Amino acid sequence: MEMNLQFFSHHKGGGSTSNGRDSAGRRLGTKRADGQAAKAGMILYRQRGTHIYPGVNVGRGNDDTLFALADGIVRFERKGRDKRQVSVYPVADAE
Amino acid sequence: MIQTWIFKDQDRISGFKITGHADSGEYGRDIVCAAVSVLSINTVNSIEQITKIMPLVDSDDDNGGFLSVNVPESADADANRQAQVLLEALELGLTDISKSYKEYLVMN
Repeated sequence: MEMNLQFFSHHKGGGSTSNGRDSAGRRLGTKRADGQAAKAGMILYRQRGTHIYPGVNVGRGNDDTLFALADGIVRFERKGRDKRQVSVYPVADAE
Repeated sequence: MIQTWIFKDQDRISGFKITGHADSGEYGRDIVCAAVSVLSINTVNSIEQITKIMPLVDSDDDNGGFLSVNVPESADADANRQAQVLLEALELGLTDISKSYKEYLVMN
């Protein structure tokens, strides 16, 4: 999560910062946990920018949302030295 | 007024929820908001980056004032212990803030 020290404070003038457009809050973060089952098309992780990268059987939407491309088990994995990725392994391969 | 809930599953803290706005000062000078923000967001980031457990986070990043976190159990016992220490530290910090700033923070 981004460190926003005014996260629990009313915004300037008390209104939304999005120029009067009262958009519903964008709920970011993990939507399926490691080890949970996922179906193709299911959203796994909402983010802005690639905090988490798409791995095996995972696609990335144009808003960086990660979603399952196949049914299977969700796995959050290391990617390289300091990056993370999320994959979906069909049940047979997940064990 | 900020409201907080600490969710417990038998003897482990399984998550927390924080809603509302402190209103203890104008935007940018709201010290209670800043304290609760840093405690809660740092707890989420610490669990993710230190214990490698991926918490389920639901947050209203546009308007703020809403953060719901669920911390699943890991197969790694050490990671679970680390996560519990971080969550207990969060609970302690929020409890102390609510004692000193009753009119701005309530622990449910």
